[in-house]
Amino acid sequence: MTSALLVVAFYYPIGTVLVEAVIVVDGGVTLGVFAEILRDPFYFGELARLFAKESPFAVAPDIVSSDRRLGIIGFTAYQAVLSTIASVALGLPAAYLLARFEFRGRQALRSLTIVPFVLPSIMVAVGFVATFGRNGTLNAVLGAVGLPPVELMFTLEAIVIAHVFYNAPLVARVTTAAWESVDASAVETARSLGAGPIRAFYDVVAPQVYPAVLTGAALTFVFTFGTFPIVLALGGFQLATVEVFIYRFVRDLSYAEAAALAIIELVISLGVLLAYLRYEARNTVRSRGARPLPRRSLFPSAPTARELLPRLGLAGYVVVAGLVFVAPIASMVLASVTGGDGGLTLDHYRFLVDRQRTGTAFQVRPWPAIRNSLTFAGAATLLALPMGVVVAVLTTRRYRGRKLVDAAAMAPLAVSGIIVGLGLLRGLVFGFEVWGWRITVAGSVAIVVAHAVAGYPFVVRTVAPGLAGLDRSLIESARALGASRVRVIRDIELPLVWPGVVAGAAFAFAISIGEFTATVVLATGVDAYTMPVAIERFIGRRLGPATAMGVILLIVTGLSFVVVERLGGESRGL
Amino acid sequence: MTDDETTADRRDTARPARRHTRRQFLAVGGAAAGAVALAGCSAEQTGDGTGDDGDGTDKNTGDDTDGEDNGTEETPTLTVATYESFIDAPSVSPGEWLKDEFESRFDAELEWATPDNGVNYYIERERSGADLNADLYVGFNTDDLVQIDEELNDGLFAESGDIAGLEAVREGLRFDPFDRAVPFDTGYISLVYNGTQTEAPETFDGLLDDEHRGALIAQNPGSSTTGRAFLLHTVHRFGDGADGAIDGADGDTAYDYLDYWAELQDNDVRVLGSWDNTYSAWSEGEAPMVVSYSTDQVFADMEGADLGEHQIRFLNDQAYANPEGMAVFNGADHPDIAREFMSFMLEPAVQGEIAERNVAFPATDTADLPDDYAALAQEPADPVTFRYEELQGSVSEWVSDWERQFAGN
Repeated sequence: MTSALLVVAFYYPIGTVLVEAVIVVDGGVTLGVFAEILRDPFYFGELARLFAKESPFAVAPDIVSSDRRLGIIGFTAYQAVLSTIASVALGLPAAYLLARFEFRGRQALRSLTIVPFVLPSIMVAVGFVATFGRNGTLNAVLGAVGLPPVELMFTLEAIVIAHVFYNAPLVARVTTAAWESVDASAVETARSLGAGPIRAFYDVVAPQVYPAVLTGAALTFVFTFGTFPIVLALGGFQLATVEVFIYRFVRDLSYAEAAALAIIELVISLGVLLAYLRYEARNTVRSRGARPLPRRSLFPSAPTARELLPRLGLAGYVVVAGLVFVAPIASMVLASVTGGDGGLTLDHYRFLVDRQRTGTAFQVRPWPAIRNSLTFAGAATLLALPMGVVVAVLTTRRYRGRKLVDAAAMAPLAVSGIIVGLGLLRGLVFGFEVWGWRITVAGSVAIVVAHAVAGYPFVVRTVAPGLAGLDRSLIESARALGASRVRVIRDIELPLVWPGVVAGAAFAFAISIGEFTATVVLATGVDAYTMPVAIERFIGRRLGPATAMGVILLIVTGLSFVVVERLGGESRGL
Repeated sequence: MTDDETTADRRDTARPARRHTRRQFLAVGGAAAGAVALAGCSAEQTGDGTGDDGDGTDKNTGDDTDGEDNGTEETPTLTVATYESFIDAPSVSPGEWLKDEFESRFDAELEWATPDNGVNYYIERERSGADLNADLYVGFNTDDLVQIDEELNDGLFAESGDIAGLEAVREGLRFDPFDRAVPFDTGYISLVYNGTQTEAPETFDGLLDDEHRGALIAQNPGSSTTGRAFLLHTVHRFGDGADGAIDGADGDTAYDYLDYWAELQDNDVRVLGSWDNTYSAWSEGEAPMVVSYSTDQVFADMEGADLGEHQIRFLNDQAYANPEGMAVFNGADHPDIAREFMSFMLEPAVQGEIAERNVAFPATDTADLPDDYAALAQEPADPVTFRYEELQGSVSEWVSDWERQFAGN
């Protein structure tokens, strides 16, 4: 059922788009488009010469030289690697803080780490210009302490910082979960055997935290490899990534090129995911200790050098985090209450109220946007959960090629959003013909399907490690006692991995709330727009109305997460 | 939640509740999946003949009102496709007024459709063999029309036929050599600059001066109308090379638009993704000049902004003109009402309203406009634009050559 749904709702529609890479006008099959892209230095830089069968010895010196051409794809990978390193660098201290220290608001902070994930890039761009721009907060602070201003906008650095904004919280979330599940007794044993605290960390804690860091890093790479609107908003066209060109080719109806680029993008992303999955399989350390490491108080009663040092480091981190994560959001909130004359005003919220009251049926109004967002997110989550759990069960059984199935199940993370939107639009909304009947699907349903498909890989990722670590004998005994397969999943496996399911649900929900690219393509009716779509519509010459809607998105999602995590109980995994 | 501070008894009470939630989740999930599978789908017989998408074809998605013909007594519904900001902009848009006015005078209901990606959405529907579900499209440019004709053998639109008021349309705006598109308004793409920070140069060459280093923000011509118009203006000015189709107005065949852009890039021009991106960056003071519409002061005045910060510059006294057209879809359900609507759009009073509410210029020279309109909405001395024939076969190459040069790294 799940696989059938996946095939109908995802692989078939997407396949119909991707296959255009190899179909020529008269219906024949060709690899010409691929060959052309592979040999094109514009896309592959110096590597293209290898694909064009130049001697590796001729190419190698140019590749290592400093003025080598990266090509669009090389550059995309380069910025993704930089973004991944930076996201891990800024995500780990947050995980350390959240996993090892106790302070007021820790749980709320942990819930809110998902918020950057749902912010539409338009809002992030607004917040970033206001924070890192020429007249932004950062330069105001630098000026106040007598330092020269920095020019960050329209540079690679701006893009990387924006990617950190989106992905470091993700790294922090996964890592925190792993860190919390380190068994205190293992550390105590190591210490009692004479290991110093640093040695104990390296030998006991690090091996258990490391795979989670890699999970975060792999996902970050995949997301930033497929980055799109933020690049053109904060960087500019000279820093265009491969997704920019996929998008442009789709808009231009040049599907062969779009599909070929999308496949290349997909193959690279899946390669990274596959490598990570192989690593995960070999290095899953499961000591689901009943007793996690005790948290330390953030403000120790008796300050010693050893107590103070990490806290000073964290204090420094909090300053950086405040600039990267809090300042853009705060700037956005500020923009929503700033009038044209620079004074404080509630006009932009009044605009939303007016639009709600007097807007015509064919115009975008705030309340339907909120309602649709929540309905779609709820429905997509309910759809993604069973899909994710079933796929997780499939990928934790032992058989040949299991890792491939696992990687294929992760494909929705790595497929370009515009291609998903186009595939579902053509495959479901326009309809397909079966035996003389044209089957069509309403745009709203297609949106739910698109969101569910985008969200279920997270459920797989949060549930699969738990399932893999389950005691097989439990399941075998239940089966021996006559329980059906379904019954075993429902009564034994699911309750044991429930925290992972909740964590996956939160992510599926977040993905749905934040999704824009496919939604806007599918929301062809007047009744299917979501909050991110409304934000885009409210953008005009003044940013006020759009930022006000953005603040509403923030509040609605923030509240939803606190509710989801309270309802779901303790969460672990992602 | 984590279990750090959770006491044992709290966990015990929490557990049955959780299991309960899970069961509910699963039950609801199953039901939802089923309901989704049933509710959103609809099926319809595709008819006996192939390609029979003429009259009598039903609408197939639930959210479209139907357009019954065959002389039913119901009020017919005219479905007008357009771009979003035509009916739904945060400032002003003509959609609502047009709908009310049209419905009060004609025996028809007007329904707007604004699919993302505009005209391309209908190209896509046509290619997929799906019914278009719309009668006419309002608001496409010359390059949209070129794209349609390149993608579809039979095009997308029918000939306009006899439209009352067509003779009043200004001569230079009739951009369709095959008489399908009827222009209803036009706009000019120019520089908008903050006069309190800089004085914009008078010419294209002036933009290359050191003084204006990093001072201009433009848009990606591949995805933005203003960005494309500005690129086309540079092609018009500098030509597309010695063996190209266009001889630049600068008279130097050896120096083409790509050469100019190379120098512009050296002078740190910023090219962002969309007009929104650029206008907000410009408003925040990231650079003093932006490529935008020559009607900028109309908006600025509406907002009570300082007009000194919203100055218009026509480079070389020129601006690229982007006339917007409307046309009836092939196989429209109500072609006659659609043509009545087009005549309605050309009436002097309606032309004036469109110009004011879409903040553009009328297509006819008979439009009723307030006398002071021209004070804020500026027109260049020398509007330039490419004809359909000039864009055909060239525009996509101009854009992709530019992309390859600008993003080459």
